[in-house]
Amino acid sequence: MTFLLTLYVLIWPVVVAGVLFVISRAFFRELRAAKAEGRSVI
Amino acid sequence: MILIFLLFFGGSFYMSVRISRKKENADGYMTGGGKIGFGISAASMTATWIWASSMYASATSGYTYGVSGPIHYGLWGALMILLIYPFGRRIRAVAPRAHTIAEVMFARHGRSSQLMLAGSNVLGSVISLTSNLIAGGALVGMLTPYTFTQGVVAIAAGVLLYTLWSGFRASVLTDFAQVVALLGAVVVIIPVVFFAAGGPSLFETGAANLTPQQENFFSSDAFFNQGAPYIAAVLAYAIGNQTIAQRLFAVREDLIKKTFVTATFGYGATIIGIGMLGVIALYAGIQPLDGDVNNLIPQLAATYLNPLLLCLFFVMIIGSLSSTADSDLTALSAIVMADVYGQNVAGKKRANPRTMVLIGRITMVVAIAAGLVFAGGRFNILDLLVFVGALWGALVFPVIASFYWDRVTNVAFSVAVVAGLAVFLPVRFSWVDLSGGLGIASDVLSTLGIGVVLGLMAFGFFGTRVALVVGILATVVAAPFAIGFLHTYPVLSGSLVAYAASTVVCVALTMLNKDRFDFALIKERTGDFDKEPAAVSQPVDEPRRPEPVAAGEGIL
Repeated sequence: MTFLLTLYVLIWPVVVAGVLFVISRAFFRELRAAKAEGRSVI
Repeated sequence: MILIFLLFFGGSFYMSVRISRKKENADGYMTGGGKIGFGISAASMTATWIWASSMYASATSGYTYGVSGPIHYGLWGALMILLIYPFGRRIRAVAPRAHTIAEVMFARHGRSSQLMLAGSNVLGSVISLTSNLIAGGALVGMLTPYTFTQGVVAIAAGVLLYTLWSGFRASVLTDFAQVVALLGAVVVIIPVVFFAAGGPSLFETGAANLTPQQENFFSSDAFFNQGAPYIAAVLAYAIGNQTIAQRLFAVREDLIKKTFVTATFGYGATIIGIGMLGVIALYAGIQPLDGDVNNLIPQLAATYLNPLLLCLFFVMIIGSLSSTADSDLTALSAIVMADVYGQNVAGKKRANPRTMVLIGRITMVVAIAAGLVFAGGRFNILDLLVFVGALWGALVFPVIASFYWDRVTNVAFSVAVVAGLAVFLPVRFSWVDLSGGLGIASDVLSTLGIGVVLGLMAFGFFGTRVALVVGILATVVAAPFAIGFLHTYPVLSGSLVAYAASTVVCVALTMLNKDRFDFALIKERTGDFDKEPAAVSQPVDEPRRPEPVAAGEGIL
C-alpha cells in the first residue's frame, strides 16, 4: 500500500513534465517558423 | 521575493511590448485573429484554467476528504476542458469568426439570450478575478513583509500593465512563459515536499491521522460533497465560460482537438498533483494556520522548501493567478467590446474598431478596480465556484441545443434559463423545507438532472441516439437511490435541478415551435469587426485540414 500511495503522489509531476515538454517543443517550433517568415508569432 | 515579483511582471510586460502595435486591431484584441498555433493555444488553455484558487481548492479537497479528494477536484476539472472539444468544433463550424459565445447567441436568437450569457460571464469573470487577487494578496502577506492589501494592489497593477495594450494577444503569449514557470515548479515542488515531509514512511506514521472515509479511495463522503457537484458543474463551466470560449475562437480550427486534449492532461495532472500537498499535510498532521485551509499550500511551502524553492513556489502561484486574471480581463473586455458595444450600442456594421479597442482597455481598468473593491471581502472559494457553475448549469442545455436544434427559439432559451435559476436558488440555499413533499419533488428533478448531464456528455461524443439511451438509463438507474436522498446534499441538488428544469422547459417550448432556423445565418451575422483582417500566425508544422464532423452535428 505504501508503494502504491507513493506512486499515486509522484505520478502527477511526471505527467506534468511530459505536457510541459510537448507544449514547449510546439511553441519553439512556432517561434522559429515565425522568425523565418518575418512575422509575429501571435 | 520582491525581486522575483518585479522580474515576473517586468518579463511579462517586456513580452507584451515585443508584440504590441501602435494601432491594435479590434479582432486581434479579442481573439488574436482566430489562427493561433498549437503551442501557444495549449499553453494558454492550460495556464488559464490553472488558477491559484483551483490549486488551493484541490489541496483543501485533499486535506478534507483524504486520498480521493484531489481526484474529485482535479479530474472533473480536467474533464470540463475535454468536454467542450466536440461542442467547440460545432460552435466554431457555425461561427468561425465570432469572439464570444454570447455574440453567437445574439446571432442565433436575439438580445435576451445574448445578455443572459454575457451577464453570467461578467459575474463569473469578476468573481474569478477577485478570487485570484485575494489568493495573491494572501501569498504576499504570508511570504513578504508587505500586507495583504499591498499585495492585492501590486498584483492587480502588474496584470493590468502587461494586458492593457495588446489584450488577448498579450494574454496568450505571456501564458506560455507563465505555464513554463508554473508546470516547471510543480514538477519540482511536489516531490520535494513529499520527501521533506517524510517520504513513503509518512503513509505508515501518519495513517492514524485519517478517518476511514479519508483513507478510502472510493469515499462516498468525497464523492457526494466534492466530486458529484463538480461533475454537475463541469459541463456548465465548459460551455458557459468566456475565457475557454475565447481560446476556442482563437486557436486554428484544425488544432482544436489537439489543444484541448493537451490542456486536459496539463490541467488534470497539475491540479491533482497540487492536491497531493493537501493529502501530505493530512498524513503529516499539519493544522492549517488560523484554521483557514486556504493557508495550507503556503504553509507547507514555508515549512518544507528552502529559500530557492520558496522563490519557485512564489512564481508558481503568481504565474497561476496572473494567467487566469489576465484571461478574465480579456474575457470581460471582449464581452463589452463585442456584445455591449459591437452588437447593442453601435451595431455590427457601424461599430468602429478603434473605439472598440478603447472600450476594451477602459473595461479592463474598470474590471481591475471592481476586483480590488471586492477583494476587500473574503469568500469561500469552493462555494463561489459551485455557485457560478450552477448559474451556468441553467444555461447549458439551452446553449447546446441552440447549436444543434434548429427549432429552439429565443423565448425557449430565455424562459428555460430563468426556470433553471428559479429552482436552483431555493434548493441550493435551502430557502424551502425539503424534508417533505418538496424534497421528493426536488429529488425527482435532480434525478432527471443526472440523466441530462450524462446525456449531454454522451451527445457531444456519440450523437443523439446514444445520448438519449445514456440519459434515460442514468435516470432510471439513479431513481431508486436518489429519490428521498439527494435533497440532503443541497450543493449537488441545486446544480442538478437547474439542469433538469432548464432542459424540460426548453424542450417543451421548443416543441411548440414549427419554424426552422438556418444555421448558415450565424456565420453571416458574426465575424470580424476590422475591415482588414488581423495579422496572424500562419500554419507552421502541418498542413491545415478540417476536422471530422462532431458526433451530434445536425442530427436534431
